[in-house]
Amino acid sequence: MQPFHYSRPVSLAETIVSGTQKHSRNAEATATFLAGGTTLIDLMKLDVMRPSHVVDLNSSAREFSAIRFDGSTLRLGAFAKMATVADHPDVISHFPVIAQSLSLAASAQLRNMATLGGNLLQRTRCAYFRDPSWAACNKRSPGSGCAAIGGVNRQHAVLGTSKHCIATYHGDFAQALMALDAAIMLIGPDGARSMPFASLHLQPGNTPHLETSLRPGEIITEILVPDGPWTRRSRYVKVRDRQSYEFAVASVAVALALEGSMVTDVRIALGGLATTPWRAVDAEDLLRGRRLNEASATEAARTAFAGAVAQAHNAFKISVGQSAIVRALLETAAMEAHRG
Amino acid sequence: MTDTRDICTSPSTPRRRFLIGSALTGAAPLIARSEPVAAAEPADTSDLRKPTSVDIHVNGRPFHLELDTRLTLLDALREEIGLTGAKKGCDHGQCGACTVLIDGRRELSCLTLAVSAQGRDVVTIEGLDGGGGDLHPMKQAFIDHDAFQCGYCTPGQILSAVSCVREGHAGSPEEIREYMSGNICRCAAYPNIVAAISQASEQMGE
Amino acid sequence: MADTRFPQATGTMGQPYRRYEALEKVNGSATYASDVKLAKTAHAYLLTSRIGRGVIRSLDLVEARAIPGVIEILTHQTVGESIRQTQALYTGGYVADSVRPLGSAEIAYWGQPIAMVLAESYEIAREAARKIGVSYDVSEPASSFDSAGVDMTALEPMNLGVGDFKAAYANAAVKIDARYSTPVQHHNAMELFATQCVWDGNRLTVYEPGQYLNNIKYGLAEQLGIDPELIRVVNPYVGGAFGAKGFLTQRTALVAIAARRIGRPVKLVATREQGFFLSAYRAETRHHVQLAADSTGRLIASSHEGWEVTSRADVLALGGNAITLRLYGCPNIEGRVNVAKTDRSTPGFMRGPGEVPYAFAFECALDELAYALKMDPVELRRVNDTKVEPIAGLPYTSRSLMQCFDAAGAAFGWAGKTAAPGSMRDGDWLLGWGCAAAFYPTQAGNSAARVRLSSDGRVHVSSAGHELGQGMYTMMAQVASEQLGVPIEHVTVSLGDTDLPPTIVAGGSAGTASLAPAIMSACDAIRRRLQTGGSPAADVMTAMRASGLGNIEEFAETRAHGLPPESVQGMYRGRVAMSGGVHLPDRVQLAFGAQFVEVRIHARTRELRVSRAVGAFAAGRIINPRTAHGQLVGGMIWGISSALHEQTEIDERNASYINANLADYLLPVNADIADVQAIMVPEEDNLVNAAGVKGVGEVGTVGMAAAIANAVYHATGKRLRDLPLRIEHVLEEV
Repeated sequence: MQPFHYSRPVSLAETIVSGTQKHSRNAEATATFLAGGTTLIDLMKLDVMRPSHVVDLNSSAREFSAIRFDGSTLRLGAFAKMATVADHPDVISHFPVIAQSLSLAASAQLRNMATLGGNLLQRTRCAYFRDPSWAACNKRSPGSGCAAIGGVNRQHAVLGTSKHCIATYHGDFAQALMALDAAIMLIGPDGARSMPFASLHLQPGNTPHLETSLRPGEIITEILVPDGPWTRRSRYVKVRDRQSYEFAVASVAVALALEGSMVTDVRIALGGLATTPWRAVDAEDLLRGRRLNEASATEAARTAFAGAVAQAHNAFKISVGQSAIVRALLETAAMEAHRG
Repeated sequence: MTDTRDICTSPSTPRRRFLIGSALTGAAPLIARSEPVAAAEPADTSDLRKPTSVDIHVNGRPFHLELDTRLTLLDALREEIGLTGAKKGCDHGQCGACTVLIDGRRELSCLTLAVSAQGRDVVTIEGLDGGGGDLHPMKQAFIDHDAFQCGYCTPGQILSAVSCVREGHAGSPEEIREYMSGNICRCAAYPNIVAAISQASEQMGE
Repeated sequence: MADTRFPQATGTMGQPYRRYEALEKVNGSATYASDVKLAKTAHAYLLTSRIGRGVIRSLDLVEARAIPGVIEILTHQTVGESIRQTQALYTGGYVADSVRPLGSAEIAYWGQPIAMVLAESYEIAREAARKIGVSYDVSEPASSFDSAGVDMTALEPMNLGVGDFKAAYANAAVKIDARYSTPVQHHNAMELFATQCVWDGNRLTVYEPGQYLNNIKYGLAEQLGIDPELIRVVNPYVGGAFGAKGFLTQRTALVAIAARRIGRPVKLVATREQGFFLSAYRAETRHHVQLAADSTGRLIASSHEGWEVTSRADVLALGGNAITLRLYGCPNIEGRVNVAKTDRSTPGFMRGPGEVPYAFAFECALDELAYALKMDPVELRRVNDTKVEPIAGLPYTSRSLMQCFDAAGAAFGWAGKTAAPGSMRDGDWLLGWGCAAAFYPTQAGNSAARVRLSSDGRVHVSSAGHELGQGMYTMMAQVASEQLGVPIEHVTVSLGDTDLPPTIVAGGSAGTASLAPAIMSACDAIRRRLQTGGSPAADVMTAMRASGLGNIEEFAETRAHGLPPESVQGMYRGRVAMSGGVHLPDRVQLAFGAQFVEVRIHARTRELRVSRAVGAFAAGRIINPRTAHGQLVGGMIWGISSALHEQTEIDERNASYINANLADYLLPVNADIADVQAIMVPEEDNLVNAAGVKGVGEVGTVGMAAAIANAVYHATGKRLRDLPLRIEHVLEEV
């Protein structure tokens, strides 16, 4: 870990100012925000992240930790802890896919530490990204290549990959937000703005080092999730080698609105399979207006992987992913989902 | 190589001009990154090495420390304060051996910077019993059920178990197993750990 | 606590006492090696090789040295010859591998230490290590069996055989011919590989977790070229070992030299990732098993050939087929072992070293044979049960294999099994049941102990022995308590210090079987001093009071059956001399068990879980059923883990391990372990050693992976022959 300046300003404005003025004459100064620390400290120990200034947001951003549901929109402060949100009664009853995605992630301790915003911005677990002694990583070092292609890549992505990067986005919570069409609120040097959550993460393409559409200095402050006929009938299925405390081999967030067995609306998001949080739009389109059953779910599942590209060790993920979609759809359909 | 550009604070705050650079190595939690620009001269890090003052409450006692900002809470407890009950098993948040209670919640001291524990209340295994001299019911339950072998993960298990009960996640063996999965026990005393927590859960009355 | 799962016992030995050191462990006051606080400690950080094979062309230390707080950097240029070459453990020496620490510019494997930074703090040392510029001349490494440049050798001295396997196999009615494999696995004890060294003049004290502290002491003396009596190794608690801490790794001599050079104590706590390379590991294996039986299930021919990976520097072969081929009666037997020399660090002993991989192959093949015969797998084993081992016709000292199958089978409910694969289901989950035999050689080494009896009735036992979590303190207190007839609360025990009487490595499930007889012998000597002769132990205190003595202290040493007299000297030099198992001229000593499991496989997404496991084990005398139960259940969970979770993944491009951390190298978590039951089948064996102890540290692990793979076959009809068993192996097309 490189030495760094640490500051913990009490207001957001002061946060950024105090963190940067000290180094304004130093062109190598790099600032990073610290929230829960579960990604940052880990990657700093590995020398993957080498900030010269760590600006601790835990005093200044405390105001952004409320959880409110007014009957039409769930507002989640980005600095709320994962565990708090997972255990919140409104979230459990009205947005089960959110509660499940959070409580199936990481461990109780990590969920007590990590904030929602930090969770959304977690970095990939790609082993070649996490070890800087591998020279080839286009995320760490643009243009250097990708060691995972041709390496050990069982955990890598099959969707949204490019010839420059196949690193998986491993988060769980993000899949629930994708499925529920969430939006995020941001504050940054240019002011406040909002964007659809689906616009936050960038597919690797030719620029794997560009992971999000956040502008420099921008902070996620709040997550907005609209209520809808599908939110109560929603579910998160996480498939993994170990029963708990592990990233997904494949995961599926489903939200479903049914009339009888007829699908009036459906949202499907996939985790552990793609380079970014992933919405299976074609699969949804196929199901809308049709009866949900084994056959239609299977057809939708196949559609979701139409563009999948497998590597040497991860072809099975296409099959597991398809099974997980079928399972998630049928389990979600079987849910008791009363308007409450 | 760094990214340096002029930006300014949000309209809701005083408009002050400043520079921010962000690591090319990518987005930290909650910060964005943009395109790289030209490399610059090496940084002078001498001012980064000055110790930082921290005040932490540990087991009810105040500690004033002058620390390297890189020091984790785990290493501060073990190397600076001399409380070695919290253990280093992975140093990356992957095993739970370093679990302590921070402001009453179980957290991982290996992923917590000591400087960011400023003003917070930390309880380690050494401070769990309180003042009465009686062994905490969770400790007693771990003994009664032989819920450890080598003992290395045990302080983390016990603190995590106390939280598991206080959080209301010790309602059934299945729930205990799930909510204790952040504490790896390589000796694999898991069945006995679950039995111990079930026992202590009743005695703790929570 | 009344606990009905433990068999009844009469004396102190056999009682489920709570752990002697329980309070220290729950209070966090048990002192592990990295917990020892020494004044003015300098902190060390290792830099390890990032190539798999080659030569260091240059090391640039300028930037690292410029960092304030850096004290010294050790490299091959400054260490070189100052650490002497010593023999590897496997050839009678002390070290884990024959690559000398920082001995030269040669890189033998990825992860090999290439520099050690000493600094005022851990943070500075780590920062500086990463500022060291290294350039290499890189050669192509051979990473595993199939790599170019692998040197494959048949180890003919390990050949086994009786009768004419080939002819018998060729003519048999029912045959199985199958190949199996097991992956690289690492012990991953929770405690990291830590070492602290402090010199006081020419005396060195080492704090390091060890299963064999005298191995550290004498090996280090040889490496440093100093009198072993100047070295003391102290370690009262080991934070898990499982075979990874039974020898000298490269770090110890480096830390010792560093402390001497800078005149300060030095502390090294290797990272989790570095631990994957610093110590030994379970290397990958391959197996070819051929079995033939007559129509009643009686084995006519059996062959088990193994292939194991070793390093270029050392040939280590575990040859577990020396036991698998002796498990059942069979007239025609053939066994071979081959090793592949690769550019990896030297593998070693990991809980059930040869037994776990070889049992996986052999006990799966037996299950395949049972299906081929349309016979219950338990009955197949019953038909082939034997009282003499089949190769030399030697008797077993005791053999309770079928009693174990019967006890575990009854508790499991095996009789309710439906034979056809895929015939059991619970909702969305496919169920499968499987079983396999467990076994482990009963071994022992020489040992010494000292026992002091005071006139106030207090007893103190001391030994350099080791507390790894197996309950050594507790068990030794029980032995002395029973032998001298004093209440167990009056017994204190000191372990983990080379100043105390030496004993053997706490490995090979031999720790208790070796040390208990020495304590019994010392207690005997006390009784002789008091002239209580053969009278009951209860008379000891009466005689002690009558004697008017303040205290009596006796030292005893015991030699294990099968070891030559001169081996006793080896014990005083930290050597590993162990006998038993299938390597005695007159008899065979094995502990046996039976594993039954239920697996669940999700019908759609194919996650594999073990929902229920019942093991029954007969291991002679159980000194403490409580700690033994922990060992057996822990062992069974290790078996589950080795079947479903653990695999160190190699990137063959540079022979590196790419999941050398606890997030990606999967160990089971609490949620993975549902219902695991261990039954102790009573067994008396007065031949194995004076204590009648067979040892329970490893037998619980053996056979579990086979039972699970057999259960997966029962659940799905898929024969999985390569570990670990994962989702992708049981997939069906959507």
